[in-house]
Amino acid sequence: MITVNNIAKAYAGKRVVDIPALQIGQGEIIGLVGNNGAGKTTFFRLLLDLVKADRGEILLKDKNIAVSEDWKNYTASYLDEGFLIGYLTPEEYFYFTGKLANRSKADVDEFLKEFEGLFDGSVIKSGKYIRDLSKGNQFKVGIAAALLQDPEIIILDEPFANLDPTTQMRLIKMLKEMHEQRRLTILISSHDLNHVTDICSRILLMEGGRIIRDLHTGQDTLQELQEYFKV
Amino acid sequence: MILFTLMSHQWKSFWRSRSAGKSLAIQIFLGFIILYFLSVTIALGFYLEEFIKKAFPGQDAVKVFCGFILYYFAFDILLRFLLRDLPTVALQPYLVQNIRRKQLIRFLNVRSLFTALNLAPLFLFVPFAIRVIGPQYGQPAVTGFLVAILSLTIFNHFTILFVKRKTILNSWWMVGFFAMVTVVGLCEYLGTFSFRSLSSAVFSRLLAMPWLGGVAIVAAVAAFVNNYYFLYRNLYLEDIVGRDKRREGSEYAFLNRFGVLGELIALDVKLMLRNKRPRSILIMSGFFLFYGLLFYKPNLIARQGLGNLLLGSVFITGIFIVNYGQYLFAWQSSHFDGLMAGRAPVHTYIKSKFVLYTAVCTIALLLCSFYGLLSWKLIFIQLAAYFYNIGLHTVISVYFATRSYKAIDISRKAAFNYQGLGASQWIYALFVFLIPMIIYLPVSLIGGSWAGIFMLGLAGLASFLLRDWWIDVLTKQFLKRKYQILEGFREK
Repeated sequence: MITVNNIAKAYAGKRVVDIPALQIGQGEIIGLVGNNGAGKTTFFRLLLDLVKADRGEILLKDKNIAVSEDWKNYTASYLDEGFLIGYLTPEEYFYFTGKLANRSKADVDEFLKEFEGLFDGSVIKSGKYIRDLSKGNQFKVGIAAALLQDPEIIILDEPFANLDPTTQMRLIKMLKEMHEQRRLTILISSHDLNHVTDICSRILLMEGGRIIRDLHTGQDTLQELQEYFKV
Repeated sequence: MILFTLMSHQWKSFWRSRSAGKSLAIQIFLGFIILYFLSVTIALGFYLEEFIKKAFPGQDAVKVFCGFILYYFAFDILLRFLLRDLPTVALQPYLVQNIRRKQLIRFLNVRSLFTALNLAPLFLFVPFAIRVIGPQYGQPAVTGFLVAILSLTIFNHFTILFVKRKTILNSWWMVGFFAMVTVVGLCEYLGTFSFRSLSSAVFSRLLAMPWLGGVAIVAAVAAFVNNYYFLYRNLYLEDIVGRDKRREGSEYAFLNRFGVLGELIALDVKLMLRNKRPRSILIMSGFFLFYGLLFYKPNLIARQGLGNLLLGSVFITGIFIVNYGQYLFAWQSSHFDGLMAGRAPVHTYIKSKFVLYTAVCTIALLLCSFYGLLSWKLIFIQLAAYFYNIGLHTVISVYFATRSYKAIDISRKAAFNYQGLGASQWIYALFVFLIPMIIYLPVSLIGGSWAGIFMLGLAGLASFLLRDWWIDVLTKQFLKRKYQILEGFREK
């Protein structure tokens, strides 16, 4: 599904991402962990063709993402508020992303029903533009918009950091369900080791732009990670 | 003491803001503009006497001058109302610090005084007072006069701050303000009430009895105190920032039929209607339609050479593209990451800009067709200009947009806002008006004005028919610089 060939990115001479080779198969749930500045977000941006790699290439379904735009048809993502259109109401934003993903309004409404509990009445029909929502609710809007596109690959940057505990649990459940139903390929980054080891089938530990460990989640994984992050 | 700390923060925020530090060229340009206006005001102040003597020969300069002072302050009020920004948002980080509320308000008030509008009267009135009033009326009169002028400036300053804050809380204040301006203007216009004689009476008396300046001081203090207590009672974020109105989503059924393209255009329309800076650009473009009354002068229409009219029509029918297009992608800089990672193909995105331009230009052309009442010639000239705008201007505009890497904050006001301005915007504006001339002039020299106009229209139409090819070319141009644009937009 995803092939990374010798990709590297540096800012002002400082290495941010440097990955010689990486293969991610369909249906894998990848957790990216690492301290701030390890290169997680930049790696996601490279995957989404938002920054130019200094060298190397990334292939999605064997097609170079910097050459063909086909990957957009099956990839959904939410990295930060830079993905939200602040002057739309949440509904308008959902319909907008839905429409681009060929989903009708009815589809979107149906999908949003699942989210109703999470939104807690303060997102849908709130009478606010997205820019006036609280940070947490903005984040929920972004995640929901990514999920409703019915993608094959989903990329979420620190999805748990800005969510309340209920929403975290709910999101984990939804991701697991979508994964089971459609063999969705999921990439998330997180600082929450418990969550990551709970849902991810494979964990990539990043440091200084490099993937220093590539772990298939097992019983000792959490311990191993805790060992690494120990002060 | 805390006042000085806060002021030094302001000083730092001014010099360290990204837009200030980045472009030296813009700073130099702005510096020149400020210098220009200052020197004009100073020169005006020094030569006012001579001007007045020329304009009103045989009358006493001081008397004539006194008649105009109130006009100045009335205009000053209007200007302040339109241009002033409320210095409130900067307060947010201080509200939770151990700083007394009184100190914060004092800071707000002192901070607000630093504006060119408060400096202008000094330059304008001080030279006149010393050079002209002094010799005629003596030292006390000069003092009284200047005290009155300064006090009135301060009075205007704090009154308008107060009124503007009130308009945020309750928009009826806005209506009231403009109603008052209209009523006063009408009274003046109809002659029921003369500002000039009032102004003349007040200031002549002031010169005779300088202690009357004290009244102005009282007015200024009253305005200050009023503003102070208003802030004291309302220094909560939500009060100052303004309560949110209920927002409803809207849908443009007409655009629904165009699929993704329609969605992208609807997005642009909402962007224009819901954000301050693009909205004022839209309104400004509407006002510019009236520029025809300036451009289309009867003596120009009667003449054989129609080049001037043509340039005017290009301006009128294309001003929206110029204004909106100089920041075409930058308007969306806050969510450009999302747009590029999202599903809309770049090709469609570029196309949506073309369609938007064409639609707005067509509306402008239809509205402008009323100028045909002035002369039938204008209809054809405008039609040629329209074809140029939808055919060639759009291409130039999108091309330059792919070379513009500066983000802008759409929620800020438009007047005197230079955020996002770079060299490419200047070159763009130059190009847009140069190219029609390059097409028109040679042909008109050989075959006359109408041939030139026909040529421009034809060139525009031909280019318009090649639109799909242009979109392919521009998509490639865009993709070449996509990362640079994205990086620029991420840096706010």
